[in-house]
Amino acid sequence: MAISFLLMVNKQGQTRLSSYYEWISLIERNALESEIIRKCLSRSEFQCSFVEYRGYKVVYRRYASLFFIVGTKLSKDGNDNPENELGLLEFIHNLVETMDKWAGSICELDIMYSLELIHFLLDEMVQNGHIVESNKMNVLRPLDLMERESQKAESIYR
Amino acid sequence: MSSQARGLQNFISDLRNAKSKEEEQKRVDKELANIRKKFTATGKQLAEDGSNNSLNSYSRKKYVWKLVYIHVLGYDVDFGHAEVLALVRSTKYSEKHVGYTALSLLLRGDDPMMNSILNTIRKDLTTPGPTSSKNNAPTTDTAQSLALCSIANITGLELIQTLHSEVQHTLMTKSSTPCVKKKAALCLLRLVRTSPKLVSGKEFVAQMAQLLQDKHLGVLTSSMSLLYGLATQNPSEYQSLIPYAVHILGLLVLKKACAREYLYYRTPSPWLQIKLLKFLQLYPQILSTGQENDGQDQSIAQLVSVVSKILTETDVSDSINKSNADHAVLFEAVNLIVTWGSSGPAQLREGAMKLLGKFISVREPNIRYLGLLTMAKLAQLEGTADSIKKHQATVLVSLKDADISVRRRALDLLFVMCDTDNAERIVDELVAHLVLADAAIREEMVLKIAILAEKYATDLRWYVDTILKLISISGDHVSDAIWHRVVQIVTNHPQGDLQAYTAATLLVAASPRRCHETAVRVAAYVLGEFGFLVAERPGMSGEEQFRILHQHWATSDATTRAILVSTYAKLANLYEECRPLVAPVFARCKNSVDVEIQQRSAEYAAMREAFSPEAVEDLLREMPPFEDKKQSALEQRLREKEGEDSAAVAKAIRPSAAQRQRQQQSQAAARAAEEVAAQQAAEQNARNDPISPISDGSPGAGQLDRPTVGIPRDVIPAMRKAFSNLCTSPSGVLFENSLLQVGVKHEYVGAQGRISVFFGNLSKAPLLHFRAIVDDQDHLKIQKQGTQGLLDESDDGGCTVAVRTQAKLLLLVEVTAPFDDAPAMRVMFETEEGELHEYPLRLPIVATCFMEPVTLEPGAFMQRWRSLEGQDRECQEVVKAPPNAPAIDEEYMKRIANIITDGLKFGRCQGCDPTPWTVSGAATFRTGSKDANGNNINVGCLVRVEANPQAGAFRVTTRTLHPLCSKAVKNVALVSIKLA
Repeated sequence: MAISFLLMVNKQGQTRLSSYYEWISLIERNALESEIIRKCLSRSEFQCSFVEYRGYKVVYRRYASLFFIVGTKLSKDGNDNPENELGLLEFIHNLVETMDKWAGSICELDIMYSLELIHFLLDEMVQNGHIVESNKMNVLRPLDLMERESQKAESIYR
Repeated sequence: MSSQARGLQNFISDLRNAKSKEEEQKRVDKELANIRKKFTATGKQLAEDGSNNSLNSYSRKKYVWKLVYIHVLGYDVDFGHAEVLALVRSTKYSEKHVGYTALSLLLRGDDPMMNSILNTIRKDLTTPGPTSSKNNAPTTDTAQSLALCSIANITGLELIQTLHSEVQHTLMTKSSTPCVKKKAALCLLRLVRTSPKLVSGKEFVAQMAQLLQDKHLGVLTSSMSLLYGLATQNPSEYQSLIPYAVHILGLLVLKKACAREYLYYRTPSPWLQIKLLKFLQLYPQILSTGQENDGQDQSIAQLVSVVSKILTETDVSDSINKSNADHAVLFEAVNLIVTWGSSGPAQLREGAMKLLGKFISVREPNIRYLGLLTMAKLAQLEGTADSIKKHQATVLVSLKDADISVRRRALDLLFVMCDTDNAERIVDELVAHLVLADAAIREEMVLKIAILAEKYATDLRWYVDTILKLISISGDHVSDAIWHRVVQIVTNHPQGDLQAYTAATLLVAASPRRCHETAVRVAAYVLGEFGFLVAERPGMSGEEQFRILHQHWATSDATTRAILVSTYAKLANLYEECRPLVAPVFARCKNSVDVEIQQRSAEYAAMREAFSPEAVEDLLREMPPFEDKKQSALEQRLREKEGEDSAAVAKAIRPSAAQRQRQQQSQAAARAAEEVAAQQAAEQNARNDPISPISDGSPGAGQLDRPTVGIPRDVIPAMRKAFSNLCTSPSGVLFENSLLQVGVKHEYVGAQGRISVFFGNLSKAPLLHFRAIVDDQDHLKIQKQGTQGLLDESDDGGCTVAVRTQAKLLLLVEVTAPFDDAPAMRVMFETEEGELHEYPLRLPIVATCFMEPVTLEPGAFMQRWRSLEGQDRECQEVVKAPPNAPAIDEEYMKRIANIITDGLKFGRCQGCDPTPWTVSGAATFRTGSKDANGNNINVGCLVRVEANPQAGAFRVTTRTLHPLCSKAVKNVALVSIKLA
């Protein structure tokens, strides 16, 4: 029961952010990503948000031109319960809301140009494939602090 | 957003503007070269750790970010690690942050670089940063958090061994902030995942309990992840924590006690609820074993009320997010109900069933998908089958859903809910849908249909038909495992007419010029094994079988050809006339580039010279029954595809009632065969008989209730001989084993005949419920009389045949049309031990019984002979004299002539036979039916046997007005000549 990877992809199918919580080699990653992205992009909004592919259950959600894709392992070994699908779907929304709260309406450019901060935010919410924090305030507090501190010339963050 | 490095922004813009992948690659390569240059000191020494200490903080961060970006784009980054480590070592937070982020993204845990950074990580982990002054308070945990985050994301074995106690300590220390605690919890989980022995449940359970009492929901969320991870490894050690989990769940669901920030669209932290419910699913027995103490009891009562509240009060709301969050929890609750199974309250199960029934027909595709998914889980519980079948129609509709994900789930559910009652309908629907199904799902469908058809077939002929349909609709997806299974099943079920039916059906399937290669393969194999069972049927002779198979030769691949070669060898062995057809194929294949084909054909071709005829017979005999493996190859495939615990696999493993019954039948048959084998001598050449004494009539209705003993294989050769004898002699024994002897006496006048059948009890106990059933024939009018009860078809009817006595059956027949087979008779009885026996036999009432000899002048004979020349009116076959027969001399020919005149009732036409080596005869086949003028319809028949003493062979040619007559006369002549 864990998230295997999280992708943010634009409508053209370019990956803007990827975060893997289990080791997958680079070649495999590329193949997996492009195939999953192709599958997700080709689906209409009247279809459900779940796709099964190569032993992964993929939950995706679309926001304007951005796709948020979360992959989780389909149970293989018998004692591992797969993630709750709707839970993941709403987690994506929670993530997007958190990002919105922090930077106004989030867009592709924001993700591209402040990659490190998005990673930081994501790390606050997901760790090791598990959801750590769903409280927006708690997630954003460290980010706020960091930003405020980095303004000061003599701070430890500089 | 925060201020950023300009160079990085420019780089990213450049990549964004790249018009093609090549351009992007070029830009990346340029940047990589640039960074590499920056990282190698120009003119100066590198620092001890390999980093370039002339870089300032800003540019080092910038270049590392660029590397991270390039890495995320999918390019390999194999340098700059030293700079990353330098950043991690830095005391500045911003540098440390970049360092740790890059560390977790760029490096693997077992990277040798990791060792050099261990101490830094340890320091960050244990020293809570600069001492907290007032304005700086929250900063104490930042470095700790970063370190934990990194450890969680990268793990090598050494890392774990060095750091796990620190992590555990950080988790439990009071002074750790919630933020650090939650990270430590997940970090520990990561470590435990990789090496489970690190944490012992007995010691850790108390600490876990302490964590579960934390008020901070973030800490609770990650603690639950940790607990779930630990408990999956060793459930019993953490069972005592159930009351804590139930307590938290109660707070969230019943009291809605939850900090405002953790409400997600008014739902109290759905993710925590999900985790709690998942943890509880690890304990399916708690409802039945929770009587130990009061505390446990109380919390179980609370749990039931929580679950029922989730079940009843979840509603669709205006906000899709609220609705989704609530349903996420709801589905998890249903999963919990499923794991409880029948130990849970029935009310909850019914409630869940009702909800799911509603869900699978809603418009929202996500809910529909999950409804089907969860229903498939629920369907595994005992006693849910009936309520699920109510939704069968809806599920069948979902099979046509626009969304492949939904279709998959519908397929899965159909597979699970299928049982003997609805198998035929579901399989037919699936086959019908297969035509439209898209490629992505076809293979899965084909596999599942094959498994279902095998599992729930009450009549195996239906199974064979279904697989054939699969091959014709979607042959490419029918894997070898599927058709191998068909062969196995057909071979292992000699009862009834399955083998003959399969052979006939496949022959028809392979007849068209174009048919799928898989069909050719099955047909080739099955005809090689069981083709002889249908060889006497019109259009299915050995020669025809060869012709039909061989038309596919040119389009077949090596595998198929190899199978064909073996089949040809078997055909050539059985049918003399096939040998000249097969020989050139073998001759050509001896030079085949494919080693397998080359070897097979060379060996088959050489076999006749190298071994005695008996040995060749033995080699080419039918394959023995396959070993019944516990798990079929198909189930194996399903397991690979779906994983161990999927509902489908669990379903496939359980044998169905139909399967168990079939198994018993074949076991009983095998036992009977062993018993009789000792008494009966094996008969060579038995399979050469074109007329089989064994009926292929369908099995009796009563057969399916109890295992039935059929005709043991070993008796068959003796039976063939007896049958052939009876065709040409007025009385004899048709069948004999240790229990029963069946004798026949028959006499004919014109179109009418009188057949007496005697059933003698040879055993030491009476035979009960003795019945003999002769099916009505199209071409025969039959009047039956018999011992009281003998003709009663019902299961408990029949007569009793006492020891050493006989039951009698008298048949008065009149033939109405030409025919080429023999009427079937089923003999059924029960021994005192309750063993059911059923023998499908054939009565020796063949066409030649109704012949009337005609004596013709040689001129008239030749005139008629020539006028009847033509494809369907002529039949010809070459037969070898039996291997142990004397050389063909005039004495031998006299016997042949006697057979033609006495046995076949033909009039000898002496004048047509100038040499002793031919026998010609003529006869009229009399029928009882009238033509338009009221005269009886008769068919004139001519026969000619030509011997070739040098080759030791005979050629039998028959010419009649009716194709069936020609064939029938030829067949009887052949078998009789062999006995001469």
